[in-house]
Amino acid sequence: MVRPPQAPLPLMLALLLAAAGASLVIGKVWLPPVVLFDGLAAPKPNLAWLIVTELRIPRTVLALMVGATLGLGGAVLQGLLRNPLAEPGLLGVSGGAALGAVIAIYFGLAARFALVTPLLGIAGALAAGALTFLFGRSGTLTLILAGSAVSGLAAAGLALALNFAPSPYAAYEITTWLLGSVAEREWSQIVLCTPFILAGWLCLAATPRGLDALTLGEAQAESLGVNLNMLRALALAGVALSVGAATAMAGAIGFVGLVAPHLVRPFVGYRPSRILLPSAVFGALLLLVTDIAIRVIPTSAELKLGVLTSLIGTPFFFWLVLRLRRLSP
Amino acid sequence: MMLCNDVLLLMMVPKDRIASITYLAHDAVEALLPGADTGVAVNHGTAEEILLQKPDLILAGTDSAPMARKLAKAVGARVVEVEAAHSFADIRRIVRQVGEAVGEPGRAHVLLAEMDGNLAWLASHQPARPLRVVAWSGSQAVPGRGTLTNEIIAASGADNIAARLLDNRYGSFGLEALLAAWPDAILQGETRWSGPSLQDAQSMHPLIERYWHGRRIAYPDAAYACGLPQSADAAIALRNLYRELPAGRLRW
Repeated sequence: MVRPPQAPLPLMLALLLAAAGASLVIGKVWLPPVVLFDGLAAPKPNLAWLIVTELRIPRTVLALMVGATLGLGGAVLQGLLRNPLAEPGLLGVSGGAALGAVIAIYFGLAARFALVTPLLGIAGALAAGALTFLFGRSGTLTLILAGSAVSGLAAAGLALALNFAPSPYAAYEITTWLLGSVAEREWSQIVLCTPFILAGWLCLAATPRGLDALTLGEAQAESLGVNLNMLRALALAGVALSVGAATAMAGAIGFVGLVAPHLVRPFVGYRPSRILLPSAVFGALLLLVTDIAIRVIPTSAELKLGVLTSLIGTPFFFWLVLRLRRLSP
Repeated sequence: MMLCNDVLLLMMVPKDRIASITYLAHDAVEALLPGADTGVAVNHGTAEEILLQKPDLILAGTDSAPMARKLAKAVGARVVEVEAAHSFADIRRIVRQVGEAVGEPGRAHVLLAEMDGNLAWLASHQPARPLRVVAWSGSQAVPGRGTLTNEIIAASGADNIAARLLDNRYGSFGLEALLAAWPDAILQGETRWSGPSLQDAQSMHPLIERYWHGRRIAYPDAAYACGLPQSADAAIALRNLYRELPAGRLRW
């Protein structure tokens, strides 16, 4: 048996810390680190202190949470469905969250209470997860099919909201929200979503033993005493809670959940249980670095996070396909 | 099929000469000429409606002109293509153009004289210290140089900070740049419009609520989207609102 190379987790954590530090210093408004430190020591409030504590720290925290959630969700679903193409949005949860948030924008509720968007987004994700579970709980294939159906339903709802948008401005707001971003979210919104994300992580953290057994096949896993229905329910609840809350905060951010597990597999081996944590850490790193790149790339209109992850993610994906073609006979 | 043209049309000719206006015009009419469109037929820019209403003249926007020409041939109508106005000079041009097209050059002259009178009054009553303002309702599509909003702000005697921050006509800058620029007041567009006001109803980032409380000015999106003689009234309304702002510079 080939031993997988040593887990590069400490290296990734060090990179993550460095990226988090950079994320506090780098922004559209360039303030030299000296000015930043002076600002933190000077009487408050002042510009540097406001920018760091009210804008850059929440943005960094959110990028880390959303990235980790997507990486973890992708790794769990790829294990559960035994499908390398699985990504966190596959079960309709992201679509449900996006639809909930868009409903808040559509009816103008978002303009009155800042917390309505994440609340309705989370409600949408949970409803979508429940619907997927209701129809698809009997097996892997039915779960995927039910997930596609729910995703389709949510996409139809989004298209309907754009179709009947009360004004061009509302349509514009909906489309830009859907592009995905972690910029300028309020602390109160982050505080609201954190318990849901943590609860989701807990559910997902209970799945590794079952996922390992599942690599042998469904019948073998059941004979090893794994309750597959329970495992599916846990994974789906975890994804609905964490990915749902993450999407409700940040909009649709593609490819991180799909790519992160693939990129850590060569380093940590192919057992699902060994991939979860590195994939979460790598997802966080990937999203944070992308978010820093957005601030550095000079664009006249703000480049949205979801757009850049998709742009970067696609070539990675082609590379994966080529690698799979080389590996398979 | 271009709502700004329709508002202009409602000011130029009596209702019985109007075959139809676009359904999109209603909000703008409510903001600028309340009630002026009651009883006027609407169209949705479809061929069937045009064939049914058989107009003699179609006022088209730049985007809808090709389609309008095709339809016009079918009903034997004339097409006049009216560009969107991004400055007071543009407004003078299109008002004269539409006035000629509908056979009311005198009415166009009266409307423009009124506008130029308002602009002259504004120019002769400049505030001692120009306020630094920006039209910012979230980080997207902030109007900079070359936009009608910029012209209205300039005419109102204020300094649009977006004109210096952006290279494009419309651009985006986030809260970081807004904090660093530290404007005296923030203008925010409203879709549903009930008159100019200092607004605090619309929820924004807590930083905006904290520091620009009482310094947020609501304006009707529709009025700033259309270059019309009323654009000078919009500038006067802005000037009057500046007086309601808290005195002195904004402090941390």
